[in-house]
Amino acid sequence: MNRVIIITGTRKGIGRYLAEQYLAGGDIVYGCSRRNCDLVHENYNHENLDVADEEKVVAYVRNVYKEQHRIDVLINNAGMASMNHVLLTPKMTAERVMNTNFMGTFLFSRECAKYMMKQRNGRIINYSTVAVALNLNGELVYSSSKAAVEQLTRVLAGEIGEYGITVNAVGPTPIDTDLIKNVPENKINELKQRQCIKRLGTFEDVKNVIDFYLRPESNFITGQTIYLGGVF
Amino acid sequence: MDINQIKEIVTNAIREYCQLNEIEITELNEYTPLIGSESILDSIGLVNVIVDVETAFLDEDVEVSLTSDAAMSTRISPFRTIGALSNFIARQLGVEE
Repeated sequence: MNRVIIITGTRKGIGRYLAEQYLAGGDIVYGCSRRNCDLVHENYNHENLDVADEEKVVAYVRNVYKEQHRIDVLINNAGMASMNHVLLTPKMTAERVMNTNFMGTFLFSRECAKYMMKQRNGRIINYSTVAVALNLNGELVYSSSKAAVEQLTRVLAGEIGEYGITVNAVGPTPIDTDLIKNVPENKINELKQRQCIKRLGTFEDVKNVIDFYLRPESNFITGQTIYLGGVF
Repeated sequence: MDINQIKEIVTNAIREYCQLNEIEITELNEYTPLIGSESILDSIGLVNVIVDVETAFLDEDVEVSLTSDAAMSTRISPFRTIGALSNFIARQLGVEE
């Protein structure tokens, strides 16, 4: 049976890649982004929304359930970065990053968990970053928001584990996307030197970890965060 | 939809949950407590019932939200009895209690 997968942040980058890959594999994908998305596929549905807008998220997830009567997978992909010294970080930036990265993950997870609990099955995938494990200077707000996502991953896994739902996170290294376009090259190189495997990550690396979590045989793996590149 | 239909959907959802989980109940009525020491449900049971009630309404094409700020921040909990929960849903739907 084709899976019903919700992926947030599908307009571009990893989210777009994942949507295209899962669609090509025969899954039904529901995506969303703040701005318009030009992905067209008979099994793809898109809505423009802000993942931190509770009312919109509740209505969106409810609509997926109404249309499909099940939600198999949620991939909380939408994310926002802010890389700057703490003294140069305005409050509004901190709020925006926390809202998108943490609140978006919280709202989508809560709403999808309702329906996954009913069906006693489901997979929730969250995104962390190696910046949490490495305590990187200049990424205070971004890595704090992702540390919150890691904690959410563990506690949520505990709260809904008995319903057959697993909750896990993937922690990518820098990948060549818009997220790091403003990070100086020497900073990226320094970061790579702290990885066991010193290269940028790829979309395929991220999907590989997600696919591992989604395997039916992975139903005993929950509350975990896997970092790419050999970071610990 | 009127208040009696709302009560029926709420009561049926709770009855189904109790049957599925082998919770012994003699009678379910609007005074049946859902929280507190006299409740027929434990805290996880209440979470399940909230989900069951929301989706039961959704099956009727009626959208209610029981995890809204309004539900959680009300001084007197809307989850105290079946009647209170039904009235809370009625208010959300603009139905006369």
